[in-house]
Amino acid sequence: MEASSATGPREPSMAVHLLQEKPGVWQSLRALLDVPSVALTIAIAAALYYFIDWSQIRVLDFGIVLKYWRPLTIAAGATLLITLGAFAVGLLLGVGLAILLELPIGPLRYVINAYIEIWRNTPLIVQLFWIHFGLPVVTGISTTALESGSLALTLQSSAYLADIARAGIQAVPRGQWDAASALALPVRTKWFEVILPQALKIMIPPLGNLAVSFLNGSALLGVLSVGELMTVSAKISDYTSRPVEIMTVTASLYLAMNLLTTYLTGQLERFTGRRP
Amino acid sequence: MSSFDVSEVIRSLPELWIGLEFTLILVFTSLGLGTLIGLLACLGRLLGNGLLPWLCAAYTTIFRGIPEVVLMFWIYYCGPLLGGVRPSSLIAALIAMSLYVGALLSEVFRGGILAVPKGQVEAARSLGVPEFWVWTSVILPQAFRVVIPALIGVAALTVKVSGIASTIGVTDLVYQANIIAGQSYRYFELFTAVGIFYFFILFPMSMLAKVYERRLAMRSR
Repeated sequence: MEASSATGPREPSMAVHLLQEKPGVWQSLRALLDVPSVALTIAIAAALYYFIDWSQIRVLDFGIVLKYWRPLTIAAGATLLITLGAFAVGLLLGVGLAILLELPIGPLRYVINAYIEIWRNTPLIVQLFWIHFGLPVVTGISTTALESGSLALTLQSSAYLADIARAGIQAVPRGQWDAASALALPVRTKWFEVILPQALKIMIPPLGNLAVSFLNGSALLGVLSVGELMTVSAKISDYTSRPVEIMTVTASLYLAMNLLTTYLTGQLERFTGRRP
Repeated sequence: MSSFDVSEVIRSLPELWIGLEFTLILVFTSLGLGTLIGLLACLGRLLGNGLLPWLCAAYTTIFRGIPEVVLMFWIYYCGPLLGGVRPSSLIAALIAMSLYVGALLSEVFRGGILAVPKGQVEAARSLGVPEFWVWTSVILPQAFRVVIPALIGVAALTVKVSGIASTIGVTDLVYQANIIAGQSYRYFELFTAVGIFYFFILFPMSMLAKVYERRLAMRSR
């Protein structure tokens, strides 16, 4: 999510502008035959052809995946559910934390900031192990893999979302705050009808990026065998000893889910009118 | 059992040190290779013609859209298809991470180059500045300044992702902590120590990124 923060403006014509050319049918046809590009493409294709062991490709049998389509689909659904649940609870917690951060309570702010920074600056895999194996030793309450997995995802997403929500709240124009206090709106009206709707709209693009990165993060729950897509596909590939086929399909499923999330975020952005 | 036993962590420091070495190898190698791959993919996408930009775009979309764990397992198992030998877990993790970081960085670089105002490039060209200097003294310096926070973010993400290499058996920090904790059942102490360790690497990075972000926002105002 950090990486995609600098994707810049969406201008499909940039390559053209860099080359000082206007796109036209003939120009794009000629561009297709541009010598260095075609040479590079052919070189990539030739290298792939040379390095791929075709005798092993021929042995691959993707029919095995069809046989296991039912557990794979259910597991993909489980992945979506776990991510969505963690994300929804995380969003509530995060927005709550961000509101608390805006209130003038001194020591609370340090505590919340520490919470946010701790969860943002440690790897998810360490958090998973810490919650699943470490915490029960101290608290005496042992959690199932699913519980500790969801807990880790929820807590981490709440920290990331609090950070995004804080930025969103601070991006609401000053005039709105002043107007709310000039009208002497009650605190609840001010937050729920003036500030938060605008802040949520501003938050949509980073939320989409975060959703994708948490979908990817949920695959890590496979380490604890939670029962989502990664766990199930690892089990199937162990059982059938056809890891290449199963892993390829798993990767494509994750890719499809991520592309769908990106698409839906774009639609949401358009729907709320932030993008024409 | 409930008391926090620091001596256990201190006793296992030599093993953790081995893990740290592998973590550092993973992070630095994949950042280096990833920068190279990212630059190539970004330039291919911006300056190439025909199929090449499309190929580069497909590469970034695919490798950013697949979870890192799945990517590592996939490359670990698909090694024999490419070149006929099964890669060791370290090599597989390095390849997976380099490709992943490369995809992230190519998007970052592209974003930076696209963020340079068109007027700058047009002004340089209309002044008759040679194309080489348009790139090296107009586009790239400005693009680099915009991109610094995102670069630090990718480096931090690489550190976080390196822990995942333990799932395919690279003896990095997380793996070592797991092994030691499995023997003494001191999970809480060891993973707290490892978490604190990661935090001390990652927290300064995210603070630095924030400082640069604020500075950029000040300048663009």
